[in-house]
Amino acid sequence: MARVYSPLVAAAAAARSACAALLAAGCAGSGIGLDANGRPLASGGVGNGPLTAEFNSIQDHVFTPICSVCHAGGGAPQGLRLDATNSYALLFGVPSTEVPSIERVRPGDPDHSYLIQKLEGHAAVGAQMPLGAPPLSVDTIAAIRLWIADGAQRPMVAAASASTAMRLVAVVPQSGERLPAAPPQIAVTFSADIDSTRIEAGLVQLERVIGSGGTDGVVVQRTALAQPAGNPRTLLLTPAAGLPGGHYRVVVRSGPGTAITDIGGHALEETGRTPDGDLLITSFEIGAQP
Amino acid sequence: MKRPRRLAAPCLRSGALGVAGLLGLLSALAAPPARAEPYLAVQQGYKCSSCHVNPTGGGLRNDFGIIFATNLMPARTVSGSNSLWTGRLGEFLRIGGDLRTSWSRSTVPHSAAQQKFALDQLRVYAEVAVIPDRLGLYADELVAPNSPQNMEAYLRYTSASQGWYIKAGKFYLPFGWRLQDQTAFVREVTGISMTTPDNGVELGYERDAWSAQIDLTNGAANAQSGHGHQLTAQAVYAQPRWRLGAAGSLTQSDAGNRRVIGTFVGLRTGPIAWLGEADLVSDAGFPGGTRQLLSGLAEMDWNFARGQNFKLTAEYFDPDRTVAADQQTRWSAVYELTPLPFVQLRAGFRRYRGIPQNDLQNRQLAFLELHGYF
Repeated sequence: MARVYSPLVAAAAAARSACAALLAAGCAGSGIGLDANGRPLASGGVGNGPLTAEFNSIQDHVFTPICSVCHAGGGAPQGLRLDATNSYALLFGVPSTEVPSIERVRPGDPDHSYLIQKLEGHAAVGAQMPLGAPPLSVDTIAAIRLWIADGAQRPMVAAASASTAMRLVAVVPQSGERLPAAPPQIAVTFSADIDSTRIEAGLVQLERVIGSGGTDGVVVQRTALAQPAGNPRTLLLTPAAGLPGGHYRVVVRSGPGTAITDIGGHALEETGRTPDGDLLITSFEIGAQP
Repeated sequence: MKRPRRLAAPCLRSGALGVAGLLGLLSALAAPPARAEPYLAVQQGYKCSSCHVNPTGGGLRNDFGIIFATNLMPARTVSGSNSLWTGRLGEFLRIGGDLRTSWSRSTVPHSAAQQKFALDQLRVYAEVAVIPDRLGLYADELVAPNSPQNMEAYLRYTSASQGWYIKAGKFYLPFGWRLQDQTAFVREVTGISMTTPDNGVELGYERDAWSAQIDLTNGAANAQSGHGHQLTAQAVYAQPRWRLGAAGSLTQSDAGNRRVIGTFVGLRTGPIAWLGEADLVSDAGFPGGTRQLLSGLAEMDWNFARGQNFKLTAEYFDPDRTVAADQQTRWSAVYELTPLPFVQLRAGFRRYRGIPQNDLQNRQLAFLELHGYF
């Protein structure tokens, strides 16, 4: 009997603990410091203003706050991620997985766009979206219909529009700084969440500058590029080996297909370029004054 | 050591209906009858396979499940209940189904309330016992609303001892409590529910107090890419008055790898069944890096009279553990009445609470549901 009773007591204690923990943590968040999507205010989240028939507005008012509750991350149903970084690429002209003959968003044709069929509840397969929540209002669906009817455009954001471009907020070491010894890491912080899908090896380089600093006078240092957990606005560049004394610079390589943008597609505001055309982030010295 | 009750094999032969009925009546004397879904198993001390063809629960009911539904679930039985539906169409074919239709009213702050009647689902299940008790072909078809959609279709082979089985095809993954409410936080956050079947293979073990599965499937997020896979495992140890389970899942995906671990517990105290579950998700598929999500559920089911149950549920969801003040809760109260065999009425109210600047996280839902099953 004792062998039965002991696990019974243990299970009861576990159940009580779970209930107590749940009740103790059972209050909803205050939302202080967060935008309407529950993200930190400074992280470039939801836009203001009423819903319009433009992609960014639909993203901010529908996809991010409603759809991406489930359709996000490595377990997104049907592989459809509707976060701000991925939604457009996974909607525009992409066949639906449930009915592959119908595109999720067919530009110019809302009636034959699977997104509309799912939102209006007459798709050939499955339940009306959003699942478990009230259907979107007629006005909201009308705005999405209009966006698709107008070609489902995604506004291209140029770096030249300084009011929306992503900016450098902080760089360590700072430009022009002289360090007595090699830094263990170089940290670059931007004004908005970085589009991590664009981050690849070699995009951001640490270069040792020899002589005048032209192309022939640069030695690329081996580094590891990463984003610290919980800080989507920062990049960390970690040298693979100790750095000898000298003049260094951090650049974003320029070239076809290379760019660093925030999750809204805004390019990085230029702060200067190297002689070979790369975007200059910072330059600093290691070692004592000569 | 006291052995756990083993109430029914996954599939009973038709000739054993009387024995199963007797078992059911004995169960009724031992404890008040319960009404629905996982708490039913907790309240009765059953394993999922006691009432369902599928060892992991849900879907087609077996002989014992039908007898339970006919004689023990309803507030009133009907005369001549021995001649009611049994689910069997001959020696080798069994069918069943569920129909849910509802009226609901949603209230979202700063928006007009929405209400509607809806046919939520009509599902039809079938199993062909190609080799009785050993080899079965199973299908779960969502017939309505809209066009038919296959939810499960698999072939299951069971060892001669009935201890091991392997199934291959399309099926629901085992993870935590298989709740009727697919919008519960623990089901939405884990992404594993009866709305997300997957294709692959499952190896299962069913013996005495143990029930365990390990699954290798495509993964929900890999439906389009054609890359990656999902590995899911679950083990449950069930005793007549309590049970404890643990589950884990690893999805390898182009979007980013996703790990989910969970534990769940059930306990019976008199007429009340308690269910708890906690799940932790670590998902590298979010823009900006890995995000950790936490969800929890505590449920009380009070079987206060024959054919009547009161369900109270508290849920918790933290969508990003590194962000403070973004947590959400959900409280539900549901009354369930089963007046007659194969018919259930449900009335419920759910209250969502989240950050004040998000109206949808602070909505309310009232609903009435008619559930017919066979």
